[in-house]
Amino acid sequence: MADSNVATRSRSSLRAAARLSRRDAINLLVVAGGVLFVLLALPSLLTPYWVVTSTSAVTFMIVALGLGLLVGRVGMISLGQGAVLALGAWVGARLLFATALPYPIVLVMTGLITMVLGTMIGLPALRVSGLYLALVTLMLAGAITVVLVDTNFPNGGSGFLGYADQSTGTPPSIRRPSIAESDPAFFRYVVIVALLMFLLALWHIRGKPGRAWAAIRQSEPAALAAGVNVTVYKMWAFALASFVTGIAGALLGSASHVLYAYTFPTSQSIVLFAVVLMGGVYTLFGAVIAGVLLQVIPGAFTVWGIPSEWATILFGVGVLQVLTTAPAGIAHQLPSDLARLGRFLFGVARRRIPAGGRAP
Amino acid sequence: MPSWSNFQPFIPIGLAAGGVYALSGVGMVVLYRATGVLNLAFGAIGAMGALIAWSMINTWHVPAGIAYVACILFGGVATLLYGMVFGRLLAARDPLVKAAATLGLALLMLGVMNRLWPAQVTRSITLPTDNTAFTFGDASVDWTQVIAVGFGVVMTVGTAIFLRVTKIGTAMRALADDREITATLGVPVRRVEAAAWFGSGLLAGAAGLLLADLVTLASDGLTFIVIFTLSAALIARLRSLTVTFVAAMVIGLVDNLITPINSITNFRDMTPFVLAIAALLFFSRERQYSFARGGIR
Amino acid sequence: MIEIKDLTVRFGGVTPLAEMTLTFESGTCGLIGPNGAGKTTFFNVLSGFVKPHAGSVRAFGEDLLSMPHFRRARWGLRRTFQTEQAIEELSIYENVAMVHEHSKRGRAARREEVLAAIEFVGLDGDPATRVGTLGARDRRLVEVARAVVGEPRLVLLDEPAAGLPDEETEHLSSVIRAIPGHTGALVILVDHDMSLVSACCGVTAVLDFGIVIASGPTAEVLRDANVMRAYLGTEELV
Repeated sequence: MADSNVATRSRSSLRAAARLSRRDAINLLVVAGGVLFVLLALPSLLTPYWVVTSTSAVTFMIVALGLGLLVGRVGMISLGQGAVLALGAWVGARLLFATALPYPIVLVMTGLITMVLGTMIGLPALRVSGLYLALVTLMLAGAITVVLVDTNFPNGGSGFLGYADQSTGTPPSIRRPSIAESDPAFFRYVVIVALLMFLLALWHIRGKPGRAWAAIRQSEPAALAAGVNVTVYKMWAFALASFVTGIAGALLGSASHVLYAYTFPTSQSIVLFAVVLMGGVYTLFGAVIAGVLLQVIPGAFTVWGIPSEWATILFGVGVLQVLTTAPAGIAHQLPSDLARLGRFLFGVARRRIPAGGRAP
Repeated sequence: MPSWSNFQPFIPIGLAAGGVYALSGVGMVVLYRATGVLNLAFGAIGAMGALIAWSMINTWHVPAGIAYVACILFGGVATLLYGMVFGRLLAARDPLVKAAATLGLALLMLGVMNRLWPAQVTRSITLPTDNTAFTFGDASVDWTQVIAVGFGVVMTVGTAIFLRVTKIGTAMRALADDREITATLGVPVRRVEAAAWFGSGLLAGAAGLLLADLVTLASDGLTFIVIFTLSAALIARLRSLTVTFVAAMVIGLVDNLITPINSITNFRDMTPFVLAIAALLFFSRERQYSFARGGIR
Repeated sequence: MIEIKDLTVRFGGVTPLAEMTLTFESGTCGLIGPNGAGKTTFFNVLSGFVKPHAGSVRAFGEDLLSMPHFRRARWGLRRTFQTEQAIEELSIYENVAMVHEHSKRGRAARREEVLAAIEFVGLDGDPATRVGTLGARDRRLVEVARAVVGEPRLVLLDEPAAGLPDEETEHLSSVIRAIPGHTGALVILVDHDMSLVSACCGVTAVLDFGIVIASGPTAEVLRDANVMRAYLGTEELV
């Protein structure tokens, strides 16, 4: 415990920090490159159909981010995120029709209102075992479907529900931000919102809440013994997931202009859970994959003329596969598969080049 | 507020629904106690059995009785197969993982059902017992409803006796307490678990058939009717058969007795959610800690 | 200083702690007893996982039992578990830092104090290493580092040497001995390894069937006839 010893240790840990940030820097570079490509080049490369599909894919990445956070970081399973999304879509549409507030402010308000509602519902389950949370959120998914069939989504009507029964004519559309009226512009807008949501999640994960969640997931008594208020941090995670899901809901309304109750069936909550598991819950990249799985695969099936039920079957098989053989999901398998592919290609290339031709 | 005579017709309907929820709940709780698996695909399995029965009757013109038996057997066999494959693969995992995996089965079955039996076609199963009715007060009661209630009671009592008296029932109760100790005591764990899977599956098939007659024959609807059963099982804390039965009857009755109340009739199917939340608020006064790892490990 | 008075815990018909009365002054104190004697139950009461049926616990003049369990860490209660509970997916640094950030200590000195705690237990190597990749000894040391960071006042060590080979137990023993001097905390050590207890603890108490059957200077307690009998377990006591 000599002073010089402490100094060496601090230096070595500083070196460790530097090494960590080098890895982060590479990740950052890759992500920044990807985001720039998606923002600048992608909309002009895609057909209008795929711009719309990609917009929903990115929106659902936000939903998957929230659910992945609950499942992967805290170890809580919510089977009602589809219902929370519907809640957010309802609140968002209501605010967008009722107010002329700037779009970003509406987004944040929607997030906050959804957060309060979602957390109130989750609260009684947070204090009992994880299985009960899964069950009660599944029931929530069923209950919200019941409510939506009665209330419908706001379409500019009057009263608290903001719904007017219009059997003829085109219903008034849910507005988009004035700077992003067109589909490609709105796609870019959604990508930027998604990016902000991912950064918000990352900031939590890397900080005090992330460490507390890791402790809770490993063992609640150990977390309590370390001074973590388990109920508060679980609620915090639930609130954060509801917040981002609410924002995704508001975006969904603007993306499709009109919302219908039948687009939020109870089964959507289950499908969401399935793709989030398949994507991988232990990294943020998993949420990106989940969004792609959920929207791009059915989109491609439509283009290819494959019945949409096959997507549901695929997701069902995916859940069973992930849970039995690969709990870390595609986000974990993909890099190692790519690395294996890289080694394989490298090996093939090396065999073709004579050994003497290689530089020392 | 509607008068008593408005409510009366809904009493047999509610009791019948409650009876089916009760026998489903018993099937789910027994399977959970014996194997640690909460089968969320319970409704989907029953739905598929009922759809198979419908096809047998309407497309292949098989005698209805055989189709009904096929529906119940399908429930047993499909559940047993799942149990033999995935039940074993996931045997050592957390109950949360086991329950989540059954959602994969539910999705798989939903996809297959919507593919083979497109939702646009309206289908129904009418059991012969529908046609013989009698009146009780102002309510008309048909024999399917009587069977549903009776079956619910018989299955609850019968299962309770089975678990107490028979050798295999005792083994199931022992499994629920501690798998490893039970295995070292020489209980044939696999055979006992197989019995639990098969028995619970038969109940899923029977419940699917009755619900197809009493409520609807639609894949989505029947799959998510599991929510009513889950609520009863949750109120019973996934343990007590008696509480499951009582809760299921209450849920069935409340859900249907709300029908004539115009202001809330559209929200009546929120009953399982509301009652489950109330039960959770009650449970969460006390708190236990487990050293089990969370998440999908 | 911790004063335990008439502490009783009942689970149904079982009484794991029966009117336990005990005072530990300072330093490292031992608590020994055969399996099922109530040692871990006692720790669980102090942690707040088990509600006692009766009795009181005053630690440094404060009523420990009236604090909510998650508040006790902030007050200065630290604990290691019989089955080690260092958090696998966090790094060594983060493991210790997360205890620090729920303590009374401010953010400013966090990095320095966390590294000092890691240094104190003798963990060499990169603090950014994920705990999941460490061996049994290092994980134990991470847990001990978590216990000494952020002004601890009462440190509970539940069989810290379980499963460790002798030479590693020796290192752990020197660390445990140094905790009171380093932090000013009172340490209570539960272990079956009598050589560890004699090496670390000035005073030791013996629990058997939830009853304190002896307490005093460690060497005397270990010679006590009642204690011998409790461990060899042939005759009825008291």
